[in-house]
Amino acid sequence: MKTMSYNTIAVLLVALMLAIAGQGSASDTTFLDTVKAATDKYDGRGVQQVQQVVQPTVLAKEEGQSGPFRVLARKQEIGRFVCSSCHDGKTVLAQNATNLTHGDVVVRHGQEGSGLACVDCHHPEDRDFLEDKKGNKIDYDHSYQLCGQCHFRQKRDWLGGAHGKRVEYWAGDRVVFNCTTCHNPHAPRFAKRFPATYSVPTN
Amino acid sequence: MRTPDNDHENDKDPSCPAESLSGDSSRRAFLKNLSIGAAAAGAALMTGCVPGADAAANGEMRLRWQEFFKKNYRLMTQEEKDATVDRLERLAALNDDLDLQIGSEPPLPKVLYGYAFNITRCEGFMECVTACIKENNLDRKTHTQYIRIFEMEPGQLDPSTGDGKFFHEVPVDNKFYMGTQCFHCENAPCTKACPTKATWKEPDGIVVVDYDWCIGCRYCQAACPYFGRRFNWGKPEIPRDEITTKQHYLGNRLRPVGKMEKCTFCIQRTRKGRLPACVEACPTGSRVFGNLLDPDSEIRYVLKHKKVFRMKEELGTEPKFWYFID
Repeated sequence: MKTMSYNTIAVLLVALMLAIAGQGSASDTTFLDTVKAATDKYDGRGVQQVQQVVQPTVLAKEEGQSGPFRVLARKQEIGRFVCSSCHDGKTVLAQNATNLTHGDVVVRHGQEGSGLACVDCHHPEDRDFLEDKKGNKIDYDHSYQLCGQCHFRQKRDWLGGAHGKRVEYWAGDRVVFNCTTCHNPHAPRFAKRFPATYSVPTN
Repeated sequence: MRTPDNDHENDKDPSCPAESLSGDSSRRAFLKNLSIGAAAAGAALMTGCVPGADAAANGEMRLRWQEFFKKNYRLMTQEEKDATVDRLERLAALNDDLDLQIGSEPPLPKVLYGYAFNITRCEGFMECVTACIKENNLDRKTHTQYIRIFEMEPGQLDPSTGDGKFFHEVPVDNKFYMGTQCFHCENAPCTKACPTKATWKEPDGIVVVDYDWCIGCRYCQAACPYFGRRFNWGKPEIPRDEITTKQHYLGNRLRPVGKMEKCTFCIQRTRKGRLPACVEACPTGSRVFGNLLDPDSEIRYVLKHKKVFRMKEELGTEPKFWYFID
């Protein structure tokens, strides 16, 4: 009788161990496997409340991982654009220029080297455009093409979505901030300042 | 659903117990009626009939009564959810003269929210914290905040070693900044600790609290290894003109005293396709939010191409919040 009960206990123990082992193998799959297995493109049309972004945007000239996307336009943010309204071939005195328009521009860009000159980015003849190192005209709305020459890592991340950010919506058509929406191209590093609030110990 | 406007109909309703039709509007009579028997109270509840009082007070009392006996949010049908948010809106209008739009949007199909935080880019400006406080109607008196930003020594990756109380010009050279909040664990310990099942993980991955089922025992706070949950010790105080009126039942609606609350990935925004308030406010783009089940989403790009880690990964809580470096 006693041996019988021992046998029963042994059988039960083995069953229990098997059950635990089975559970262990089941919990090896995590939600990350589900995430990796999700390869279907998400159809954002299911999210009906997504509105159009109200700020002016332009279609980017390059594609991200999700295909074409839009960037916030830049030209209307520039106070005295169109540049050719002054730079129209007539002689512009440097004195007038600093007084009227560019006196507030301080270039703090590329300071690790010798610093940047105006014509490193601006087109020397056609002031309505920027110019890359190959001599191509770059539109102000597509300044990422110019910035990405040096900051190619940031541009790669920006195209993918690890640098910069989307405008207002995670769903719907992809609209992202332009480089110059956040960074002042003449002094791209954010200025030091006090935080907007402070942390307090809670509870 | 009964409304204060059809009080008159209720008075004629033959299913209402006679006691509750006495017409005596005093508090004593009301309590007496209540004590007459559970059957009477039960019948009143079932029919939405409330012991008599003058019309306005009766309307509010009925709303409170129905609110008190409503179900756990998870057990409600969509109609019941609509009814309860409708009642909450009307109670807010009656009691506080507030015009709120409380939603009960269900989770979006094929969506699992994920979050990534760039510790290289964050510069400690704390715009996220102020945006969160405002969006989520957090108590201003006790300075409750869901997000905390820590100033960290290089080489350290545990926020408990950082300074969480800095207030000086940022960024400081040779320091980096690390934010914490609710990580919306896939295997959330807080939901298991709750004795009233008032907190759970939604199908889109957001860990939520039904504030009306929370009894304020704070077991969940003890269970959370990330200090992600907050408790309302007093009635939250918010300046009237700063109240965010677009709310969600499980999100930023005004919590009563003695309830647990936490980051909900701004459920009232994200379920409408918008970014959480912290992401939208971040001036450095350190915060990435998106759908983990979308292979083209920004969050999936970060997980695929960046060096990522999660906090206390060895606990097996599976947070859906990653830190990454450029």
